[in-house]
Amino acid sequence: MLIDTLKTLCALPGASGMEDAVRDFIIREARPHADEIITDSIGNLMVFKKGRKAPQKRLMLAAHMDEVGVIVTGITDDGYLKFDFVGGVDRRVVIGQRVRFGGILGVIGLRAVHLASKEKEDEVPKTEDLYIDIGTSDRQSAEKIVSLGDIGTFDSGILEFGDGFFKAKAIDDRVGCAVLLELIEEDLAVDTWFAFTSQEEVGTRGGTVAAYRIEPEIALIVEGTTAADLPSVKGTNKICSPGKGVVIPFMDKGTLYDRELYAQLTSLAEKNGIPWQTKQLIAGGTDAAAVQRSRAGVRTAGIAAAIRNIHSPSCVGSIRDFEGLLRLARLFIEAQGE
Amino acid sequence: MDLKESIIELASIAGPSGSEGAVARRVSELLAPLVDEVRIDNLGNVIGYKSCGKKGAKRLLIDAHIDEVGLIVTGIEEGFLKFSTIGRVDPLMLPARQVKVLTDPPIYGVISSMPVHVLTPAEMNKAAKPEDMYIDIGFSQEEAVRIVPLGTPIVLDARVESLQGDVLTGRAFDDRACMAIIIDALSALRDRELEVDLIVMGSAQEELGCRGATVGTFSVAPDYALALDVTHAKTPDYKREKAFNLGGGPAIGVGPNVSRKLSDRLIAIAKEKGIPYQIEPMGGNSGTNAWVMQTSREGIATGVVSLPLKYMHSPVETMKLSDAEAVSRLLGEFVLSMKGGEL
Repeated sequence: MLIDTLKTLCALPGASGMEDAVRDFIIREARPHADEIITDSIGNLMVFKKGRKAPQKRLMLAAHMDEVGVIVTGITDDGYLKFDFVGGVDRRVVIGQRVRFGGILGVIGLRAVHLASKEKEDEVPKTEDLYIDIGTSDRQSAEKIVSLGDIGTFDSGILEFGDGFFKAKAIDDRVGCAVLLELIEEDLAVDTWFAFTSQEEVGTRGGTVAAYRIEPEIALIVEGTTAADLPSVKGTNKICSPGKGVVIPFMDKGTLYDRELYAQLTSLAEKNGIPWQTKQLIAGGTDAAAVQRSRAGVRTAGIAAAIRNIHSPSCVGSIRDFEGLLRLARLFIEAQGE
Repeated sequence: MDLKESIIELASIAGPSGSEGAVARRVSELLAPLVDEVRIDNLGNVIGYKSCGKKGAKRLLIDAHIDEVGLIVTGIEEGFLKFSTIGRVDPLMLPARQVKVLTDPPIYGVISSMPVHVLTPAEMNKAAKPEDMYIDIGFSQEEAVRIVPLGTPIVLDARVESLQGDVLTGRAFDDRACMAIIIDALSALRDRELEVDLIVMGSAQEELGCRGATVGTFSVAPDYALALDVTHAKTPDYKREKAFNLGGGPAIGVGPNVSRKLSDRLIAIAKEKGIPYQIEPMGGNSGTNAWVMQTSREGIATGVVSLPLKYMHSPVETMKLSDAEAVSRLLGEFVLSMKGGEL
């Protein structure tokens, strides 16, 4: 089941540069179904699976394994950790949240509201003024269990709520990984490369070298994308909305998606009764930017699940959208054999 | 149940001010075997009596509040909940926060964070006002209106977990940890002969201004009262005098809100028994139920003992178990020291 796979994947730690746990899990699940498995120096995982025939053009689906996180930059005399972000994190969503470095749990603290000075009480502290409390009270005890450069991820429970909604950390882009993994376990229409990329959140680093190695002619990036559909956000600033269908983007900050593939995806969705929407604001970017301009160029399309509070400990998406994402990816693969 | 377990259990129950029922019921169950009688009063205070069996014995009230800060539903827009706060909640702690909406049965949701692309740089450096935030419960407007009545209380949802050593992090340690401490101290006194009648109060609505303790103290009319509450522990962003050391033991309040006789006795006992302690000078209002207890009826000799706590009123309140144990010991020794029911 897609949702069970997603739950497992979201619970795994995998900030950029330390995707090991995610990669190991996917390898274990994919191995019985794969014809070839490649890992590389940057941490990508590439899985080839033969289909019923060869596609018209060499096909690659990609999803990134990494998530945003924190990296330890200092340890204070009184045993707190100083940190910076790995990937783009809005510091407003981390205050009072939990982070985990393997077996070490910490909380991002903030003086009690009673102790804030009047003029500063609604001021968001700068990242360099934030700290992680792991319960140690001196430098030595902290240094025994944490080192500079240790990378942590949010520690946040998984929750199904409302009318088919799902909350977890790292839905961006474990939802893409879950979709690819489901497809690997199926009978495929055409031969397909599946790239599980590393380091997307720090600048599509893994996608760059994965695309170079696989040399696809057609690529589909399966992602999570920012939704901002709050009542107070007006019109197109909402971008897209969880529960309203698979997001098929025509353009974002990094990529003008291939027009023909965009049309192919929207018509596949229409014909097969898969609800879809597009992004109503040019925002965000994906591995598509790296893949599209790989070598002599790759015709690249994208599909995504709309995610609220993306890059936070509490990403929210719609399970129906996740299922739509899987169906549309499957139809896209089939279409490459026609 | 040991102290740690009962702290975790009581802190895990949702009970914002005015909706303390579930906490009050559990506290009643835990108190029942330790006291002669337990009741819940008109405002939701839990009150237990334990007589020492001596005629004309003085009466000591031991109080901890059982409410917690929270949120309350004030409106529904496009299926999202609008809310206001119950007690002092830091808006900086709210974005991307999982919440429990106390419908029957409860439902869960997430406080949405305002996306970056619609904010100006200045807005990105300011906390949004709670009135401008939304709770995502994953329902349509129609369903949301059907499921969530206006006025439904909400709590921040978080598990209690261990950090390094004996440090715990979680929600509502303010003031459930102190309620658990009172139960722990009472268990330890179970077979001891006392010379003072004990009244235990788990008071309601402290976070809105000591409302439960006002009526509860009036109704039990004690001779002495002791408020157990939390106090701020030092953190990297607040190290000044108003904060105390996590691990430094109970903070014993000293100042006009406290009977000097009582604070002197508490300090003397801590010294004599080797219990670590800190002195918390309080210029005026202690910010605890002691404020209303002191002036109840014709006046009551009142004391304050506090558990050091970091990040008060947040879902990551952080405390040290050794402090809680020390508070429990101090409380027990204090009760035992009241020979002839006198200070």
